[in-house]
Amino acid sequence: MSCQLAILCLLTLLLPPLSRGAPMSPAERITQAYNLALSMQENMSTLLQTYLQAQGSPFSDPGFSAPELQLSSLPPADISFKTWNALDDGERLSRVQGAFLALTQHLQLVGDDQRDLNPDNPILLAQLRDARLRAQGMLGNVAAIMTALGLPNPRAEDTLGLVPFGASAFERKCRGYIVIREYGHWTDRAVRDLALFKAKYPS
Amino acid sequence: MPRAPGSSRPHARGSPGPPPNPRGGRRRCCPYCCSASSGRRKRDQEPVLAQYTAVISPQDPTLLIGSSLQATCSVHGDTPGATAEGLYWTLNGRRLPPELSRMLNASTLALALANLNGSRQQSGDNLVCHARDGSILAGSCLYVGLPPEKPFNISCWSKNMKDLTCRWTPGAHGETFLHTNYSLKYKLRWYGQDNTCEEYHTVGPHSCHIPKDLALFTPYEIWVEATNRLGSARSDVLTLDILDVVTTDPPPDVHVSRVGGLEDQLSVRWVSPPALKDFLFQAKYQIRYRVEDSVDWKVVDDVSNQTSCRLAGLKPGTVYFVQVRCNPFGIYGSKKAGIWSEWSHPTAASTPRSERPGPGGGACEPRGSEPSSGPVRRELKQFLGWLKKHAYCSNLSFRLYDQWRAWMQKSHKTRNQHRTRGSCPRAEGARREVLPDKL
Repeated sequence: MSCQLAILCLLTLLLPPLSRGAPMSPAERITQAYNLALSMQENMSTLLQTYLQAQGSPFSDPGFSAPELQLSSLPPADISFKTWNALDDGERLSRVQGAFLALTQHLQLVGDDQRDLNPDNPILLAQLRDARLRAQGMLGNVAAIMTALGLPNPRAEDTLGLVPFGASAFERKCRGYIVIREYGHWTDRAVRDLALFKAKYPS
Repeated sequence: MPRAPGSSRPHARGSPGPPPNPRGGRRRCCPYCCSASSGRRKRDQEPVLAQYTAVISPQDPTLLIGSSLQATCSVHGDTPGATAEGLYWTLNGRRLPPELSRMLNASTLALALANLNGSRQQSGDNLVCHARDGSILAGSCLYVGLPPEKPFNISCWSKNMKDLTCRWTPGAHGETFLHTNYSLKYKLRWYGQDNTCEEYHTVGPHSCHIPKDLALFTPYEIWVEATNRLGSARSDVLTLDILDVVTTDPPPDVHVSRVGGLEDQLSVRWVSPPALKDFLFQAKYQIRYRVEDSVDWKVVDDVSNQTSCRLAGLKPGTVYFVQVRCNPFGIYGSKKAGIWSEWSHPTAASTPRSERPGPGGGACEPRGSEPSSGPVRRELKQFLGWLKKHAYCSNLSFRLYDQWRAWMQKSHKTRNQHRTRGSCPRAEGARREVLPDKL
């Protein structure tokens, strides 16, 4: 029961409210997106732990980290402070937009992989699905902010490119870890970006 | 692991020459508070250093428990530094003893494993080839287990002839160490094709529910197929007619009430399950009851085609929980018993409090004592009533009174024994104690 309530709560944050009379101000949209990013941050460690546990050791070892593993189809979240600070509104938001679009598509792929690798783990599959929904929610919220600020909204692209269907089980396990890890990094980045917007466009 | 441009295959970055981390070993940081890069990459630019990757063969092998495995980790390099020297293996996070590996050539490290144990997790055991600094170069998932054994003990039941639920036990050992898929199949014995049940885990992990399109008065063949990476097994075929395995809902509207002031009886009433009211059958019922703080149920059997029953021999002033269940016996004129329904929700009621002191209670009179030391009014009334009927002499004597009390206690005991076995008197009228003509 509490799970259903949580999903309901989540949905109110995910969907930019349809016209309730007067359209939302940029500040309101920014606050909504910021709150979503915070709630995503809260769920991050649970998702990562659940995922790593299900893959077995070494993934499930305490403190597991493999920064050497990367996916070139995911944009990196790290950026020099100087560059980050100098981004204009449009560029700042479109980077977040691009990242969460890629993450949404990759999370779908990871969900499919795990359905195959861990079919008897419904909790993991549900958490992956929720993460994908939250990422989609972030996309919607960011698009809403761009519209409210009069910024151009780039079209959705296929970021996965050619999916190598022959990926082995181990490669798929690594892939899931990288995606969830980067999802965490981009959530932290989104919190910082949106905090900046909150300060710049106070209500 | 090869890296293709724009691909979503994970690749590893390592360094030729000196290890990237001067401290040695794998750098550990919390998963998402450090940056993802290995620290060598210039921000927002393509990596300056070349990298090498590796591949393990075989990929995702499936093996029987106890078998051996030969594996290789081959390094591909862009730079001359890419070598198998210094690489090592781990299996499920544990470093493998160096005597199990050897270098086949400059770029290939071999591994020989023997007598493999069953896989630790369904997603496969992780066999990993590491660079000297501990970073992951390549991996392969091992699936080690057993083929499934024949499932057995299939039992099925139909709720109100509308559906069929079946349960089975997986093969003798159950643990195959591999994900095993169970599929319940069924077909009409004399006609038609195989059907597969779709709704699994309805009443436990090894169960399936067929919600509709079931024929009556004709036998079905039912079996379970178990499959995993190593093989498959099929249970024996169970043949049944839906009408032979019918169960129904528990009786609704179970009411328990007192029987006037009788302190050792309760009356139970219920309604026959409505779902089967249109079908000719004689229902059988069972009642069970227990004292509030006991776990022992007493069962009243053989309640045929009634919708009420009187429980007797109960303790006065006690709360009882009562449940009723139904068996759709003889459905459509069949002589067979059906399957008992679930018990109804427990209904509670309490017997009236006793006005006479209980046996062994503090207020009990010892034998032969003066009756004036404490008989209750009611008891005396009963005695006088009895006397009026049965005494030959009008001389009241305390001896006579004691004898009567002794007789009362004795008949109470036998009464309770009979009632404990469980019987449901059909007579609706109040039961009176029949006292013997002679003492």
